[in-house]
Amino acid sequence: MEVSDTLKKIPIKFTINGQQKEVYVQSNDLLINLLKDELYLTGTKYGCGIGECGACTVFLNDEPVLACLTLAATVDGKEITTIEGLAKGNELHPMQVAFLKNAAVQCGFCTPGMILTAIALLKENPDPTEEEIRDYMRGNICRCTGYTQIIKAIKECASNQRS
Amino acid sequence: MQFNTRILAHKFEYLAPKTLTEALDLLSKYQDKNIKVLAGGTDLLVKMKTIAMNVDYLMNIKDIPELNFIDTAEGLIIGATIPLTYLLREDKVRTEYTALYEGIQSIAAPAIRNMATVAGNIGNASPAADTVPPLIAFGAKVIIESKQSKRTALLEELFTGPGKTILNPDELISRIEVPEVKSNTGSAFLKNSRVKADLAKINIAVSLQRNGQNCENCKIVFGAVAATAVRARKTEKLLEGHIITEELITQTAKEVSSEIKPINDIRSTAEYRILMSREMLCDALKLAWARTNSKNLFDSQDGGE
Amino acid sequence: MSKFKIIGQPIPRYDARSKVTGSLKYADDFSLPGMLYGKVLRSIYPAAEIISIDTTAAKQLEGVHAVLTAKDVPHNETVTRFGQSTEVGKGFEGLYRVLADKKVRFMGEAVALVAAETEEIAEQALDVIKVDYKPLPGVFDPIEAMKPDAYLVGENNSNIIGEFGCAQGDVEKGFAEADIIIEDTYKVTFQDHAFMEPESGIGWIDDYGVLCLRVSSQVIEHFRDVADVLGIPHNKVRYIGTLMGGGFGGKEDITVESYLALLTWYTKKPVRLVYNRDETLMCHSKRHPFVMHYKVGAKKDGKLVALGAYLISDSGGYPYLSPWVTLYATVNAAGPYVIPNVKVKANCVLTNNTFTSANRGFGSPQPNVAYESIMDELAHKLNIDPLEIRRRNCLTTGKALSTTGQVFNTHVALPEAAEKAWEALGKPVISKDANIKIGQGLAIGLMSYGRMTFLHDTSRSYVKLESDGSVLIRSGIPDLGGGQISLLCQIAAEELGVPMSKIRIYHSDTALTPLAGTTTATRQCYMSGNATLKAAREVRSRILKKAAEILNVNQDNLDIIEGNVVVTYDPSQYIPLGKVIRACDGAGIELFCEAQFNAPFTSVPDLSNMRGTTFPDFTFGSQAAEVAVDLETGQVKVTKIVTCYDIGKALNMAAVEGQMEGGSIYGMGYALFENYELEKGFPKTLSFAEYRIPSSLDVPVVKTIVLESGGGLGPYGAKGIGEPACSIITPAILNAIYNAVGVRIKNLPVTPDKILKALKEKSL
Repeated sequence: MEVSDTLKKIPIKFTINGQQKEVYVQSNDLLINLLKDELYLTGTKYGCGIGECGACTVFLNDEPVLACLTLAATVDGKEITTIEGLAKGNELHPMQVAFLKNAAVQCGFCTPGMILTAIALLKENPDPTEEEIRDYMRGNICRCTGYTQIIKAIKECASNQRS
Repeated sequence: MQFNTRILAHKFEYLAPKTLTEALDLLSKYQDKNIKVLAGGTDLLVKMKTIAMNVDYLMNIKDIPELNFIDTAEGLIIGATIPLTYLLREDKVRTEYTALYEGIQSIAAPAIRNMATVAGNIGNASPAADTVPPLIAFGAKVIIESKQSKRTALLEELFTGPGKTILNPDELISRIEVPEVKSNTGSAFLKNSRVKADLAKINIAVSLQRNGQNCENCKIVFGAVAATAVRARKTEKLLEGHIITEELITQTAKEVSSEIKPINDIRSTAEYRILMSREMLCDALKLAWARTNSKNLFDSQDGGE
Repeated sequence: MSKFKIIGQPIPRYDARSKVTGSLKYADDFSLPGMLYGKVLRSIYPAAEIISIDTTAAKQLEGVHAVLTAKDVPHNETVTRFGQSTEVGKGFEGLYRVLADKKVRFMGEAVALVAAETEEIAEQALDVIKVDYKPLPGVFDPIEAMKPDAYLVGENNSNIIGEFGCAQGDVEKGFAEADIIIEDTYKVTFQDHAFMEPESGIGWIDDYGVLCLRVSSQVIEHFRDVADVLGIPHNKVRYIGTLMGGGFGGKEDITVESYLALLTWYTKKPVRLVYNRDETLMCHSKRHPFVMHYKVGAKKDGKLVALGAYLISDSGGYPYLSPWVTLYATVNAAGPYVIPNVKVKANCVLTNNTFTSANRGFGSPQPNVAYESIMDELAHKLNIDPLEIRRRNCLTTGKALSTTGQVFNTHVALPEAAEKAWEALGKPVISKDANIKIGQGLAIGLMSYGRMTFLHDTSRSYVKLESDGSVLIRSGIPDLGGGQISLLCQIAAEELGVPMSKIRIYHSDTALTPLAGTTTATRQCYMSGNATLKAAREVRSRILKKAAEILNVNQDNLDIIEGNVVVTYDPSQYIPLGKVIRACDGAGIELFCEAQFNAPFTSVPDLSNMRGTTFPDFTFGSQAAEVAVDLETGQVKVTKIVTCYDIGKALNMAAVEGQMEGGSIYGMGYALFENYELEKGFPKTLSFAEYRIPSSLDVPVVKTIVLESGGGLGPYGAKGIGEPACSIITPAILNAIYNAVGVRIKNLPVTPDKILKALKEKSL
């Protein structure tokens, strides 16, 4: 295998939760491991590694994407927001508050991905029906809650945001 | 060999051209050296994680602005790197290329659709791809470019087997061109899967034109029931030029099983797929027919799954 | 007005905020400088002899710090007690082999371990370990495995590793008296726990040479087994449990601990080991498949007269908890019904499939599928309403379980739960499509909470009142996401009259917290809840005694409310809690207590005829479902689910409802989607793309009805709910399908093609 420069580190510059960062990554580094192991932002979770569970959801230029299927090198010049970037100091994002109030969190492993995806949903569709919520959230798997409280939390956040 | 979906276990050289010319140059240079094109990554990276795949050069084309576009001036032209979500946001896709809209909607989940591309879905050449049957039904063409050539191929002639296309190692798909939809055309896409975010057990796209009471330009395309997406040409001929009635549809559905060759796999059995092909053909035809007189998707919400 | 201040409130859980901010460190989120990455090499055959293993190439790779095989393990075979100390006999001991030695017994069995500087290098090392396998024929069906000439999976001369039985009355006489007999076989398959967090952990050696493990686990008592594997004293292993991203019984057995311990001990460096998803799907325990032969006899009026059942469970490649699960199934086999004549026999059998062990419900969901389908069939054949037939036969308070004869002196909420569930389901929706048929189904069931009483289960909890009135709890309790630690905080808050914000809990650390036993068997609310209640009440009584002295009133007239000790009949008389604490301090009165709670202790029953009390108590409930079945595609859409349980007392209503909602969907996946398939021992569903669990779009809203009889053995009369919540829905869905389209599927999961096939056969 003739791969001459694979050990060369690739410089990337990006914004993470509002902060500028410049790091060197390897060609085969994944965004999820860059976040967890290099930047110690462990809120993004590994659930399946192939894009089926949504636990690794982050915002890339404000759109939800899956960190387990994103090469670290490709985030050069982009803005990333993880779950850790939602709260402003001690003030939680309204979606985080809604999840807390509605007991939408049990083991919590799917929670970061759920919250980020739900925020994206309300940005795209501020007044979703229950069916629309369930449809949009179908890529975020939860094994604990059965989804009832999660849907309730999202509905409540939507109605709070509209008023 | 064990696989670890937490990481990409093997190293490769990462290339990030900024123009199409640069990309084609690199493809030409490394065509014999296991080079793969990275667009959304939702298929390619999964493959690299789960099967023994030799990738020595990985070329990211998402930073090439000239590939990142949707053009709706005449027909529908889809750049290679535009994410699926943007197609869903185009009114013209929703109202005129309804089967494509429905096909994209049925894929996975929003995060995947924010990353994945039509060119990638086509290039991955899974028989179960959801954008392929609608695009074939609309007569889509694929523009294939290399350093020294630029050629056009009908999408329905692109696939040679599961995961295989006619593309040479130094070629990439730069765009997909879909002709303007004729007036009084209706289309529908249906998908049968285990859970909603799953790959299809079987999917179908139908596009047809209404001329008075007659059906014209009928296109019926199935996915996940043969080595590649398959046009049910015999079935199309039975409908072509005829008045669409309940009996005709039921009659035609009986013929469709001879045109598909499904297999047993983890998602379903061949027998079930054959049964479903008839049901889904009926439903898709009725739905498409009902939509031929209106431009608005939401005027004709009936039947279907 | 509730007499409780905090108990019963749907308050946010103790750990919820750290979960929504992403700050909670799960097992995979914790790292130490110089940390290595551990990986496991797994067998590529379900049955094979290991001729040789050559690790030279792997050891020579740059960045590899350890490559270990069975010969490097000081004690490669241990017999694990699964968290109890009592002797219960050989049939229950789980042979635990750390690394495969000479023979592999299931696909994915651990063969070698690697620790390297990056995960990538560890993978490369795995690739170059040369294992010379000689594939063996293997056996993959438990019925085949029971035959005398079957391939022997283990080292014994039989694959049958457990035999259990229960009987009462005379079944033959009962069948002779029956007006109608239904005889049928039901088959249920493997189910994966599919917790979102794969098995993970980190190990390191502290400054005193103590091996520390920080693992996502339901049982911190495994520290003893880990110490035995290494051949070191038990007090040289410190096992810290993390807040888990789900357990469901899949993190009850030893998962990564021994591997971590070995790699850490060998390299003397911190090591992290995390399973990837395909690995966990392939190599960790599954729910037991059962083949269940049932024969049920009833009179014309629907009264049951006899039930015979023969259950065979597939134990996979190693026993693990198979005997226990099969025992549970035996005890649960006749359901919550009064049946005078019963005979149940069960076997668990080794095969070369993936090993099976604990999975939420632990052997009670499987027979529930069979007996509730049969009850439904009886109802149809006798033209009796499904609720009515259950009314005529179900247990009530004071009656005895038909298998073991255990008498229920605690509350049995039947038929009440069924009545409420059935009513709440409402009228069936009218289908506008001639091809979509609507059906409704009902089921009832029971499941124990608390471990088997012959295990002599105990739990300990420590509660301390600090000088500023804040509270500290120490408990070994592992929390798998069901709100276990939050529960203990609520109890202490209630008893000591302080808000939740003033409670801090240290949990799941064998070095620093009293051992609370396993988070399994739906036992923690009952066991650790009672231990905490006991400890908190003791501290409370010391405060009240001192306050009574100071205020010169009777202790019984005092309560602690919002930081003050108050005279209940004259609240103007009070003394700040802080003052009482200082007074106690000055008088040398300790304001902390470590209390132990013991479950009832019984002796090991005669396994061939288990009679008498085997569990402390049971939770009773009912679930009802409405489905829409598409006659053309065979697809089943569950449109309504109602779940109703008697929880005794809901200590946190939101947590209880959450368990009931989540449990219903867990059981729904079991009914319709989840199929861990193996072909001659080779698993075929090794990713979430192949093993499908329900998403938000696949499930309805779950309606919960919580009954609070106060008749449980847990704190404040609570019963357990974690596992009971997930059975019952499965047969409710099957019965709803029958109601919709007249076919009964007896082989899970119910897939569309099975429905179409059954419809076709019905029309012939």
